Amino acid sequence: MAIPTLFFSGVLLYLVAWNIYLSFLNWSLVSRIPKFVGFGTYSYLLHQYFFKIGAMHSAIFSLGLIAIGNPLGIFLAGILYFLPNKFRTLMVSIFLYPLAISMATNGLIWTWLFNLHLGVDYALRLIHLPTIPWLTTPTTTIGALFLVEIWAYTGLAVLFYLASFMGVDKSIIEAARIDKAGGFKILFKILIPNSMNGFIVSTALLFLFSFRLFSLPYVIGGGPTNLNLMTLVTYLYYLFYSEFFSASAATSVIVTVVATAVIIPYALYGIKRWIRRE
Amino acid sequence: MNSRLIKYIILEIIAIIIAIFWLIPLYSMLINGFKTNFEATATPVLFPPKVFTISSYITVWGEMKRPLINSIIIAIPVAFISTIFGEMAAYFFYVTSERMPAVSNTGFSIISLATFIPYQATLLPLIELEASWGLFNSYQGLIFALLIFYMPTAALLMSIFIPVIPKYLIEAARIDKASDWTVFWKVVFPLTIPGFLATMIFVFIESWNNFFMPLVLTSSPSLRLIPVAERAFTGGYGTLYNDSYAAAVIASIVPLVVFIILGRYFIKGLAALGGGAKGV
Repeated sequence: MAIPTLFFSGVLLYLVAWNIYLSFLNWSLVSRIPKFVGFGTYSYLLHQYFFKIGAMHSAIFSLGLIAIGNPLGIFLAGILYFLPNKFRTLMVSIFLYPLAISMATNGLIWTWLFNLHLGVDYALRLIHLPTIPWLTTPTTTIGALFLVEIWAYTGLAVLFYLASFMGVDKSIIEAARIDKAGGFKILFKILIPNSMNGFIVSTALLFLFSFRLFSLPYVIGGGPTNLNLMTLVTYLYYLFYSEFFSASAATSVIVTVVATAVIIPYALYGIKRWIRRE
Repeated sequence: MNSRLIKYIILEIIAIIIAIFWLIPLYSMLINGFKTNFEATATPVLFPPKVFTISSYITVWGEMKRPLINSIIIAIPVAFISTIFGEMAAYFFYVTSERMPAVSNTGFSIISLATFIPYQATLLPLIELEASWGLFNSYQGLIFALLIFYMPTAALLMSIFIPVIPKYLIEAARIDKASDWTVFWKVVFPLTIPGFLATMIFVFIESWNNFFMPLVLTSSPSLRLIPVAERAFTGGYGTLYNDSYAAAVIASIVPLVVFIILGRYFIKGLAALGGGAKGV
C-alpha cells in the first residue's frame, strides 16, 4: 500500500544522493569531463562573492521572518483570541489568503505596488509622507522583499499561535476571569506560556518557507541575477544555468543539509505529539 | 460589562485596520485589470478605475488560455493521485507505528523531508533524471516531478489526520481478520473524508501555484503552466499594469475561488502541519 509513496520518496533520496556525488566533481562548462576533486568545489564556493551574498540574504530573509513573524503572529493571535468565532475565522482567512496565490503572482502584484510613480508612493506623496525608493536602492530592495515575505507568511504564525491559544484549557481562563484578570494578563500569564507548540512549529515552518523562497526574489528582482535579492536558492539556479554544474550541486547540498537540520527534529517532534499522541 | 464591550470594539478595530493593509494587494489586483490603457499609464494602482473595460483581459487571454488548461491538466491529477496514495502510505505508517516504531519514525522523517526540502535543491539531478527517462518537457514529466514532493506531503498530512479515528474501530476490524486493504477502504477512508479533502485541496493549491518546476522542466511554450506564463506580464518596458493585473487575476482565479469556497479545508491542512489534526 505504501509502495507509490515509498517510490517517490526514494526518488527524492536518490536525487539528494546524486547531488552529493556531483558536488565532489568539478563538472562545469570549462571542464566537460568531470574529475573527482573531493571538497574542492566547496572550497571554491566559499570564496565566491555571490555565494557569500546569497548566504547572507538567505540568513536575513529567514532569520528576519522568524524575528518579525513570531511576535506579529502572537500579537494578532492575541487579538483574535478574544473576538467572536465568525469574525476570527474571517480574519484568519484574510491573513492566510496570500498563501493561496502563487508567489510568482504575489511578486507581480507587489512589483507594481513598489512602482515609484504609480505605486504606494503615489499615495504617500498625496498625504505628504516621505516616499520610499523601494526597488531602486540595494537596502530598500531587501526591505521591500522582506515586507512581501512578512505579508505572505505571517498568517501561518497567526494560525499556529491561535491553535495553541485555543488549546489552552478554557476552565483556566474562566478561573482567571473570576479573579478579575484582564485580557493582557490572560495573554501574557496564561496563553503565551502555554504556547510552546505554536512557537516551535511557527519558527520551524517560517524558516523552511523563507529558506526556499525562489519565486518572490525571481519575479521582484526581474530574474535570478539580481544581486540585491540573490539567495542561496536563486544562486544555485543561476550556477546551473551558467553551467557550473558541480558548484550548483554543492550549493544544493549545503541548502539541503541546513533544511534537513530543521526538518528532522520537526518530524520527530510531530510524530510524537500528533501521531503517537504521547 | 460596558468597559469590556469597548475593549472588544477597540480590538476589532485594530484587527480590521491590519486586515485592510493585508488586503491592499488583492484589492489592487482585482481593480486594475479593468482599467483602460490610458488610465494604466496615468493613474496610480491604488485608485479604482473611472471607466471599466475588459480590454486587458481580452489582450492577455490569448496567451493565458493554453497555460490555464495546462495547469488544470497537471494540478488535478497531482492532487488526486498524491492524496489517495499518500493516505495509503499514511495508513501503512499508522499500522507499523506500534509494531516497528523505528520504521515509522524513519518513514515520517523522509516524508517530512520531501515536504519541506527546498525543492529547488534537486534541480540538477532532477533534470538529468527526467532527460534520461524521456520525461523532460512533457506533461508526464511535470506530474512526475510534482509527485516526488506532493505525494509525501499528502502522506504527511494524512498521517496526521488518520490518528483522529478512534483506535478501537480499526482494532475491531483487524481482530475480525479483515485484510489491511478492506480496513482501509471500509473503515479508514470513509472516516477520514474531511482530512482527505483538506489534503487534496492543499496539494491542489500548492501544485497549481508552483512556479519553479514548470520553469525548469519545460521549454516549449505550449507546455507552459500558468505561473510561468504570467511572468511574461511582470512589467518592464512596454507592459502596462492593467495587463499585468489581468494576467494575475487569470492566474489566481482558480486557487482563490477554491480558497473562498473551501478555504476551511485548506486552512485545516495548513493547521495540521503545525498543530496536529485538532488545529483551529
